[in-house]
Amino acid sequence: MLTIAGIGKTYTNGLTALDHVDLTIAEGSFTSIVGPSGCGKSTLLRMIAGLDEPTAGAIEGRPGEIGLVFQDATLMPWADVEANVYLPLRLAGVTRPDAAPRIAEALVLVGLSDFAHAYPRALSGGMRMRVAIARALVTRPRLLLMDEPFAALDEITRNRLNDDLQRLWREQGFTTVFVTHSVFESVYLSTDIAVMTPRPGRVMAVHKVIGPPVRDPGFRASQAYLDGCRAVSRDLEHALAVPA
Amino acid sequence: MSRLLPLLVGILVLAAWEVSVRWLQVPVFVLPPPSLIAKSFVENFPLLMSALWVTVQMTLAAFLASLVGGVALAVLFSQSRLIERSLLPYAIVLQVTPIVSIAPLIIIWVGFDHVERAVFILATIVAFFPILSNASLGLRSVDPGLADLFRLYRATRWQRLFLLQLPSALPALLAGARISGGLALIGSVVAEFVAGSGEATGLAWRIAESGQRLEIPRMFAGLLLLSATGLALNAAIAQVEHWLLRRWHPSHGAAA
Repeated sequence: MLTIAGIGKTYTNGLTALDHVDLTIAEGSFTSIVGPSGCGKSTLLRMIAGLDEPTAGAIEGRPGEIGLVFQDATLMPWADVEANVYLPLRLAGVTRPDAAPRIAEALVLVGLSDFAHAYPRALSGGMRMRVAIARALVTRPRLLLMDEPFAALDEITRNRLNDDLQRLWREQGFTTVFVTHSVFESVYLSTDIAVMTPRPGRVMAVHKVIGPPVRDPGFRASQAYLDGCRAVSRDLEHALAVPA
Repeated sequence: MSRLLPLLVGILVLAAWEVSVRWLQVPVFVLPPPSLIAKSFVENFPLLMSALWVTVQMTLAAFLASLVGGVALAVLFSQSRLIERSLLPYAIVLQVTPIVSIAPLIIIWVGFDHVERAVFILATIVAFFPILSNASLGLRSVDPGLADLFRLYRATRWQRLFLLQLPSALPALLAGARISGGLALIGSVVAEFVAGSGEATGLAWRIAESGQRLEIPRMFAGLLLLSATGLALNAAIAQVEHWLLRRWHPSHGAAA
């Protein structure tokens, strides 16, 4: 269980990005953080990753192995797919022969086995994102952090990646924290949704999504999905109405 | 066809040159016809080649020294802001001081019987700066997302340098190397002109000597050889750049 307790972030110029953020993320959950742009949700994710330090509060229960996926695939352009996926293991000192089966396994997970020797520039945006996901999963993390990973993709690609991510999350059993500004995406994917207010960012409400354990496109047409979207949207509107 | 065009232009210009020089009876010591330059080239072939070899050795040595030194210093700068702040001004002083003006000093320091050392030092000073500044720029232009990933996975300083910073710096470094290759040749030639004495035996000295003796066709032959050397050096570095960047860098073709 990951506990975010009273997190605050005030920059040296006096700007307060986050103010008393409390959030509990259950082991194995798929938790989305939804909020308007500039609410500090990316900053919060970076703090969970340990890349930024909060100026107040603490985060506890952070596992050792964390996977991270950005909005950009952020691949090394000079390295082929295999070498990109190898990176986290390489940095941990795993030799290439030892890493090979795990790299192959990660590429199977994202359906890119045939592209092991392609360079990033030869891949589509969706495929690049798959490489980034394979790279994040190659260390078998207990926690996967994703910062608007599919925001730059077209809707068809995005839907397919949503389904694939769902499947990976179910099969691999890692906890996912997923930052997005799309209400629809968050309801489709998540078990829990935290809605944040704009600057200074604060968690305003947490929703439990009522839905089947296995989400498929049929869920998008269900009443539960529509109810979920409506509830989260209403909270988001309230969040926007809160004077900053 | 587009490859043949420059060649065709060259042949036309040479022909026009030959015809007009003969027709207008321009004295050979002002402008010799191409045929005479070619003849002089053949006659002086051994002399010119040994001179060229001296210049090429000097140029390559200076280029390699500036490459190694420039990259090493840039890496040092990238590791410590303090070192960069303390040393960069001196590197710039060295860069902006005209080489011709420090040549006599260097020659006095290394001794008149070791002109080749002076030429090497001077050419290295000239060729050094583009490598340093481009490598520094390259080492700093790391994708911030990748830098975050390296931090997340607790990369060591060396892993960061070899797996992230140096590959990121490669395109800028190679662009610097191209400039520096040309400058190494220019530096060698200029240094040899300035240092010129009985000890110097490079192409630059042969050209200066031919000029003093009014052996203008030989002077032209030497000049031609010098240009060809510059072109060859540039092409060689461009080839290395092509090998290193062709598979991934946007400057080298679209997705394959």
